[in-house]
Amino acid sequence: MTTKTKGMAELFKEVINRGLCTLCGACIGDCPYTVFYRGKIRMIDFCNREEGHCYEYCPRTPTVLDDISRMIFGIPYCDEELGTVREIMMARTTDKKIRSRGQYGGTVTTLLSLALSQGLIDKAVLSRNSSEKQPEGMVAGSVDQLMECAGSNYMAYPALETLNRIPSDSKDKLGIVVTPCQAIALAKMRTSPPSRRVEISNVRIVLGLFCTWALDYCRFHGFLKERLDIPKIRKFDIPPPPANRFDVYIGKEVRSFSLDEVRKYRMPTCAYCLDMTAEFADISVGAVEGVEGWNTVIVRTERGASLLEMAIQKRVLETDKLPDRILAHLKEASMIKKTRGLKEIIRQTGDENNLLYLVMRDELRDRFLAWNAPEGGTH
Amino acid sequence: MAVIDLNAPGENRLFIGNEAIARGALEAGIGWASAYPGTPSSEVIGSLAEVAKEQKIYVEWSVNEKVALEAAAAASYAGIRALAAMKMAGLNVAQDFLASLVLTGIGKKGLVLMVGDDPEAHSSSEEMDSRGIARVFDIPLLEPGDFQEAKDMMKWAFELSEELGTVVMLRSVTRIAHARGNVRLGDLPQIEQRAIFENVYNPMSPSPTAYMPVPSPLRHAFQHLKLDKARSKYEGSPFNRYSGPEKPDLLLITCGSGWLYSQDAVSTLGLEKRVGILKLGTLWPLPEKLVQSCLQKTNRVLFIEEIDPFLEGAIMEFSSSLSPERRTGIFYGKHTRHINSFGELTPDSVINAIVSILDIKYEPITAEYINKLESIPKNFVIERMLTFCPGCPHRASYWAMKTALRMDGRDGFITGDIGCYSMGLGPAGFFQNRTQHSMGGGAGVANGFGQLWRFGFNQPVMAVCGDSTFFHAAIPALINGVHNKANFILVVLDNSATAMTGFQPHPASDLTAMGEDATPVSIEVVCEAIGAQVEICDPFDLKSTIYKLLKLLEQNNGVRVAIMRRTCELVRGRREAHPFKVRLIAEKCIGEECGCNRLCTRVFRCPALVWDPAKGKTMIDEVICTECGVCADICPEGAIVKETVI
Repeated sequence: MTTKTKGMAELFKEVINRGLCTLCGACIGDCPYTVFYRGKIRMIDFCNREEGHCYEYCPRTPTVLDDISRMIFGIPYCDEELGTVREIMMARTTDKKIRSRGQYGGTVTTLLSLALSQGLIDKAVLSRNSSEKQPEGMVAGSVDQLMECAGSNYMAYPALETLNRIPSDSKDKLGIVVTPCQAIALAKMRTSPPSRRVEISNVRIVLGLFCTWALDYCRFHGFLKERLDIPKIRKFDIPPPPANRFDVYIGKEVRSFSLDEVRKYRMPTCAYCLDMTAEFADISVGAVEGVEGWNTVIVRTERGASLLEMAIQKRVLETDKLPDRILAHLKEASMIKKTRGLKEIIRQTGDENNLLYLVMRDELRDRFLAWNAPEGGTH
Repeated sequence: MAVIDLNAPGENRLFIGNEAIARGALEAGIGWASAYPGTPSSEVIGSLAEVAKEQKIYVEWSVNEKVALEAAAAASYAGIRALAAMKMAGLNVAQDFLASLVLTGIGKKGLVLMVGDDPEAHSSSEEMDSRGIARVFDIPLLEPGDFQEAKDMMKWAFELSEELGTVVMLRSVTRIAHARGNVRLGDLPQIEQRAIFENVYNPMSPSPTAYMPVPSPLRHAFQHLKLDKARSKYEGSPFNRYSGPEKPDLLLITCGSGWLYSQDAVSTLGLEKRVGILKLGTLWPLPEKLVQSCLQKTNRVLFIEEIDPFLEGAIMEFSSSLSPERRTGIFYGKHTRHINSFGELTPDSVINAIVSILDIKYEPITAEYINKLESIPKNFVIERMLTFCPGCPHRASYWAMKTALRMDGRDGFITGDIGCYSMGLGPAGFFQNRTQHSMGGGAGVANGFGQLWRFGFNQPVMAVCGDSTFFHAAIPALINGVHNKANFILVVLDNSATAMTGFQPHPASDLTAMGEDATPVSIEVVCEAIGAQVEICDPFDLKSTIYKLLKLLEQNNGVRVAIMRRTCELVRGRREAHPFKVRLIAEKCIGEECGCNRLCTRVFRCPALVWDPAKGKTMIDEVICTECGVCADICPEGAIVKETVI
């Protein structure tokens, strides 16, 4: 364990009770004192330890971005709009079945499916929606099981809890799909591997999802229940700007709601996040503005590049260049989230030297703060 | 318990005070004995129940003390000598009836109310001196000072009751009730009991001593006349004794356990020639002539009694009514802080008071000796708080309730009640009981919280009660809640036993106190008939029970009953073998590390789970482990394994 970490009491005091918790799940699953229930991490008993994995891996406790970046990429945290980028492109699946189930281009499902069938991983850790459209964790060992999890969720779910529950003596190679905050927690785990949990080096591929914010399932469920027959919902979609819609595919039709209305059910903690494109994953995947049926794919690491290369060679994915205009808009959107997040943090602390949980070089912070959106900005 | 019905008059037997009292009742030829269990009174009816069939008496564990006294009164009305026994808290339950009983009078045959007080409240929720009640209610009061007296006094109490025509109270304390001494047996009468309730009430000329069904203020005056008659009977009673010099420098006035301590103190100090002891056994009304004659022997009086200054107050009051030349000089006792007015006394309490008053140099044990005394047991005695037995279903029930309440997250709490589960106040029950009062108090208080939503209250409330407590007192509270649409959950901890007091039967049992067939009353049927929603849970199935409780909490509406049904381990363990084979795999135990930090020995705390600090691991004490298997479900590492025994 790193020397300067703290324990459960401080985790609740500094993060959870202050509304900073992103529900990433890094603190639960392996701990008998905490449980995720009805949209919150709850303390059942008091742990008493002065130091714990819970505080250590939480993405909202002091996070030294340079350390994480060095560990994964070998270089300090950079000021690039989209984080460390090896390659960026558009991609979509060639598999019809995945195309019908998947979100946009079905890239995540395709990459995992390939990794499974090629034996690069034995299991994939993801989340899927229950019939009540409540997210639940899943360890998929087959392509069929993967297909159950296809489709975007938009709701905060402690997926890392599912990872933590895997027995420590398991030899399964793992793939995992994470949000940006979960990717940070995972990176912290790799920096200081837990001794009593699943072997972190078993995680062979980390697929990150683009994320602007996540919904609070507990409150959002009420919104859905008043308007729709929840078990009939097939999938959700937030089309890229300028759509400003939240689409619900229900039965044979699509019901659209104002995104402004749905935004009210965001997790408030998302306001303090700077990472839109899951900067600490091997491959990050999102939508393509204005182009249906395709994914934006950012390859960041060697193992990510190797998986993508295999996907292209085996023709399970087809790729194309991401148009400059779209790339520019993507960078702009990412910077907007960064600057908004930073400003919100500084507004909260009242001190630009106190970035809550973030530890970054002053010059980086200043550069982000100085960035201005170009005229006629996006969302 | 000793066999109390030995037909061997003149022989000595070793009895505890309660057995002596029970023997006294037999020698008095009772036909009826009823009670509700409660320390330090339980063995009275307990030992009578064992010999009931042979002695042809009726003995009953009633649903509560009120019914026990009411039913005993009926026996008295019908011409059967009757005994009702209870602890002081039980007297509180019976007081409503007692008040009217005193004024309506008893039947032809005597009625004795035995009350056991628990000084220092070793096993009670409050410390109370019941003698004050006798004074308030105008009841003749007796208190034995040793075991022979306990028997002889109980026997005489029935004669007194019949001569006066009123209920008589006999009060005892733990150190008499539960200590052992020699008792010389008397005759066991052969009585043909015949019950008949004649109509003796003549409205045209009511007799002051006969039973009259309608209480009236006149009866109050008549009761005072009865007390005057009692007083004159007390004057020559052998239960009042003086020992010591003709003119003592200091007179100790004492009763009950205080007598033993006083004798010890005087003997230790070697002051037999200077200090006299007046021991009273007939306490109320005061035997004034006797008291006055003793007061005149001396200038200084020290009162030794547990718990309240009962004799102290009464005698000082009496003394001030005497003309100045007849009054005694100085009174010492609780009001002068020479004797503590709470908690038990010891011979040391008396010694310290005497040496202070007489200004004597006395070397008690040295500080060095005290240190030695305190350090020796440390090597042998494990420091441990009161806790549930290994295998107790309450530990599992409290674990489930605690988990559900904390998951629910609205700062819900438990309103506690009386039973083994009262320990829910402490670490055994994870400090869950947020209030705790008397029998049925949990459900009663929950009724209040259950209506406060009107003022913005939104914390979920769980009231607990045991199966016996449910019948004793919780039913009216349940009815009140259902009728008034209160919001709370009543958790009935049904371990099929009145465990805390010694496994006496209760209304859901198959057998009566006398071992005869009983009609069991079903808790869930009663709850459903009242109109509450009922869920039955097995506390050993933690997951399912937590889930059921969460669902009930979510409902947040009306009165819901959750019955936690699992037999008390002490009962089950006598009948059956261990349900599982349980063992701990040391390699899997991670002890104090992150991911556990001794959940089983630090939080769950079954006494059979022992932390070995040298090895940094938990181990199971095979001698006391009952292999219930609950810890196997608690351990986050799966280090405890349970296998079903075929």
